[in-house]
Amino acid sequence: MTKPKDGARKKDDALVVLKDVWKIYQMGEVDVPALRGVSVEINKGDFVAIVGASGSGKSTMMNLVGCLDTPSKGRVFLKSRNIADLCESDLATLRGKTIGFIFQQYNLLQNMTAFENVVLPLELQEVDDGAAGKQAKKVLRLVGLEDKMHHLPSQLSGGQQQRVAIARCLVGDPEIILADEPTGALDSVTGKDVLNMLERIWKEEGKTVIMVTHDLHLAEYAHNIIELKDGKIIRMEQNHKKVLH
Amino acid sequence: MKTSKCLKHALNMVIHSKLRSWLTILGIVIGVGSVIAIMSLGAGLQQSMEAQMSGLGGDILTITAGFSRGITFGHRRPGGSGSSSSTATEEEVVLDRADVQALKSIPDIELIDTNIRGTVKIYYLGKSGSVTLTGVDQKVWSKITTTEIRDGRMLGPADMNVIVIGGRLADSYFDKPLGINKMVNIEDKAFRIVGVLDDSSNSIIMPLQMAYTVLDDKENGVYDSIVIKIKNEDELDYVIEKIEHKLMMTRHVADKNRDFTVSSSRQFQEMRSEMLGSMTLFLTAIAAVSLLVGAVGIANTMFTSVLEKTKEIGIMKAIGARNKDILMIFLLNAGLIGLVGGLIGVVFGAVLSGFMPMLMGGSMPMTRGGAATVVSMESVVMALSVAVIIGVVSGVVPAYNGSKLKPVDALRYE
Repeated sequence: MTKPKDGARKKDDALVVLKDVWKIYQMGEVDVPALRGVSVEINKGDFVAIVGASGSGKSTMMNLVGCLDTPSKGRVFLKSRNIADLCESDLATLRGKTIGFIFQQYNLLQNMTAFENVVLPLELQEVDDGAAGKQAKKVLRLVGLEDKMHHLPSQLSGGQQQRVAIARCLVGDPEIILADEPTGALDSVTGKDVLNMLERIWKEEGKTVIMVTHDLHLAEYAHNIIELKDGKIIRMEQNHKKVLH
Repeated sequence: MKTSKCLKHALNMVIHSKLRSWLTILGIVIGVGSVIAIMSLGAGLQQSMEAQMSGLGGDILTITAGFSRGITFGHRRPGGSGSSSSTATEEEVVLDRADVQALKSIPDIELIDTNIRGTVKIYYLGKSGSVTLTGVDQKVWSKITTTEIRDGRMLGPADMNVIVIGGRLADSYFDKPLGINKMVNIEDKAFRIVGVLDDSSNSIIMPLQMAYTVLDDKENGVYDSIVIKIKNEDELDYVIEKIEHKLMMTRHVADKNRDFTVSSSRQFQEMRSEMLGSMTLFLTAIAAVSLLVGAVGIANTMFTSVLEKTKEIGIMKAIGARNKDILMIFLLNAGLIGLVGGLIGVVFGAVLSGFMPMLMGGSMPMTRGGAATVVSMESVVMALSVAVIIGVVSGVVPAYNGSKLKPVDALRYE
């Protein structure tokens, strides 16, 4: 992870590049900037924690990195492609194939079983049923929920639901995992399990993990930490404890 | 996303629909059911009418006094003068012997029956009632009528104090059924029943001369109608023209002040059939309004559904759903609501149509004869197609709105 210089060409192995990104929300007649000139490069294989207090702009940054939103000013590159140049359909495809999301509130579809939730991203990518089913079972096994695959989310505990969400995130074999407060709705023990799982996936699968959290202790799991305050990056450093390991 | 998968998700949405969605479906059920029931009743009545028409003599003509540009099937009560040369607008016009004589000179006519008609009191075993009496020329009536005899016989040339009665009068008018050789009193005269017609009427048929004695207000030699059987059915229009020409000459009237009407049973039935068609169309249009209300219901439900599922739309978009996937899922969902409503509506309509004649209590003339309703394949296909189209059309705007939601906004929606 580096801070790109103005005008510098983005690195070839940079997965995500933000260049002087601004995000301004309109609140009535008042412009409220959520991000102010943020520039950052996230490379393949990074485990990055974006930290900051509430309202610091970390969720906005995650939405931009995840192609869920577009910047008001500046440019966001995902795999060398400026997201502002992509049409909705290409953006959705890029999002589906490149990024896996893990949300604080799990965001599972309540009328679908764990298996149906996990297989959904592959259905959206029009993967054939046999291969999709096999892959969904594989990731459910990976998160230890093979025996709960036919349960509805309402029949699962919070920790199990988050593991289903992780399985859904992994099923499409994305390069980037975007986790927004992944332990926010979990107790400390379950939260720790989830983080250990994320770390294991990062290590074993070689994914790029970007985690948004307000908890500095949780950020210790990451190898790079970006701290935001009032929409600006105030700290961007390596987590030496992890790097030394 | 493949269409089959979109369909699976749409079906999942219908299955897990809340009560509101089922109420929306109920709206479509009522709309489609009403349309099917009315269309099937109309088709049944048409079919029954066609069956009746095929049994009617196409070679029978009826002449009545008075004239209208349309066909008038009521008869005017003749005045006391017996004159056949009065105008249609100012004085009462009648048909009399002079007209019969004129008609006899037309070689294309095979038989002429003269009729008078009125309401009389009938008494049987201490009970009484009002029924319609028709006096007929008994020498020709049996050859000209299209109604069959169920029991007994037709009127014969020498008959005097005898009558033939309608099927319903025989079976259910009085507490005890009337049958052959039973005696009844009509006004103050006794008559013997010699025949029962194979129909469902309450009418009485008796020799013309006897009818004059029972119907006090009728003058001998004056008729309410003249029924004619022509020799060649294929020449119906030509003979009608000939009769009209002849009667205009003998009655000294021109086309503009014509005072009689010549009509054929076939024309009458065709007009009734046309009227029935228009009525069915009108009722179907009214029923279609309920379908329209159902469509508004679907649109309303879809708007609410999109609102309710905003977060789900956001989640799906986050994991790779394109606008067109969301659009397709919601459109199919709306179409499925229409289809499910349509399918249940067709069954409901078919069941309802079976009860329609009973519900109407024989208030429609055609249902008295037990006309069956007919649920045609065309009406089923049409109702289902309309229901699905209505569903899809009603879902277009909400589905489009849902598909255009920005993922970040949709995910934030609570």
